[in-house]
Amino acid sequence: MHDWIWGFVGGLMIGGAAAVFLLFNGRIMGASGIIGELVDRSGLANWAERVVFLAGLIAVPYLLTLAFGGAETHLTGNWLVIVIAGILVGVGSRLANGCTSGHGVCGISRLSLRGIVATVFYIVAGGVTMAVMRHLIGVI
Amino acid sequence: MQRYGFALLSGGLFGAGLLTSGMTDTRKVQGWLDVFGDWDPTLAFVMGGAILPMAVAWRLAAQRRDSYLGLDLPGPPKREVSAHLVIGSVIFGMGWALAGLCPGPAIASISYGGVGGAVFLLAMLAGMVVAPRVRDRIDQAAPAASPRSKMDIRALTPTYAVSPQIDPSDLPAIKAAGYTTVIDNRPDGEIPAHLHTQQMKAAAEALGLKFVANPVIGGALSMDNVRLQAQAMAEASGPVFAYCASGNRCSVVWALMNAGERSADDLIRTPAKYGYNLEPIRAQIEALAAEAEASKD
Repeated sequence: MHDWIWGFVGGLMIGGAAAVFLLFNGRIMGASGIIGELVDRSGLANWAERVVFLAGLIAVPYLLTLAFGGAETHLTGNWLVIVIAGILVGVGSRLANGCTSGHGVCGISRLSLRGIVATVFYIVAGGVTMAVMRHLIGVI
Repeated sequence: MQRYGFALLSGGLFGAGLLTSGMTDTRKVQGWLDVFGDWDPTLAFVMGGAILPMAVAWRLAAQRRDSYLGLDLPGPPKREVSAHLVIGSVIFGMGWALAGLCPGPAIASISYGGVGGAVFLLAMLAGMVVAPRVRDRIDQAAPAASPRSKMDIRALTPTYAVSPQIDPSDLPAIKAAGYTTVIDNRPDGEIPAHLHTQQMKAAAEALGLKFVANPVIGGALSMDNVRLQAQAMAEASGPVFAYCASGNRCSVVWALMNAGERSADDLIRTPAKYGYNLEPIRAQIEALAAEAEASKD
């Protein structure tokens, strides 16, 4: 099957997960906020719900890869790039108060101005970074 | 307990969706961002697929007062496009492109991503730890670019405003805006200790504001709540400021309090300007109005 069909089906599942979190838990499914508000302690009031969500996010892929074989991440072997990228993702997603799931999926689907602006900026920044780092400098 | 079951289901389905969609493969993410290289359209299908059910979910949520488990639904989206939002998104986009990982797949990758994924996750958590300091630096460099106050006073009438959760540092701005009474419609059980009624009351009274605690349990609002709110309004020496999690409960109480005094259309339209959807309580407003009318005769 084509990659894009799997992409669409997986997307429906991701959106379904966000819908469950909204309609039952009354919460917006943003990965960076769920974990980030534990890190900065602002979300300790409902820590158990966050931890359980994160447990599901880790355990289900664990079981699926156990059953159907590992998922190839093709992550770069350049440790410096991994660490810098991780720090940028952590700082940026907290500053912007959202990432691909919170602003992208949950924000755009309710036509939130902030979600749309954030998504446009991170995609453009990502595209420019890709062009510079891959085609001009050749690091990634 | 049910909420934990649904949190587990949601997290698990999110993880399964990431695997199914191929978003666990950093090449697909980088391939989508690589418009000058071998462009991979998959991510656009993932995004489209995810937005569809979520758009339906938002429509369903708009027709409800609270979630299927009786929990508070999120308030209306903030509209403010701040420097933090733009700068943060640019920084996030750069990191996302560099490694091809965003927070969701980074967390999931603990189970399949080997050491590299774990190192990325640790670096990401470190970034989250320093993020508040970066935010302060941006504020110092460009104070005008950052929001002056997080306060969002939503006046339903000249004498009654509602707001999402405030903290003690917002009280001077509320006083400066002319409000003399603050009503807390949020039960302490929902919030961290420094925002509990006792702390907020002490801070408000230190400023000379009258403080009234009238906790409304999400989905279980009582007529006692409505009477207490009306009494606080009647006793107030000036405009009244009410807050809860989003301002929704304060709006519902206000609408029920004024049933019969103003038309149901008006009582629903006014909070709707700020994104509060009171359509689900139209019947209740109309019933109260009819009751008030009957008691007049």
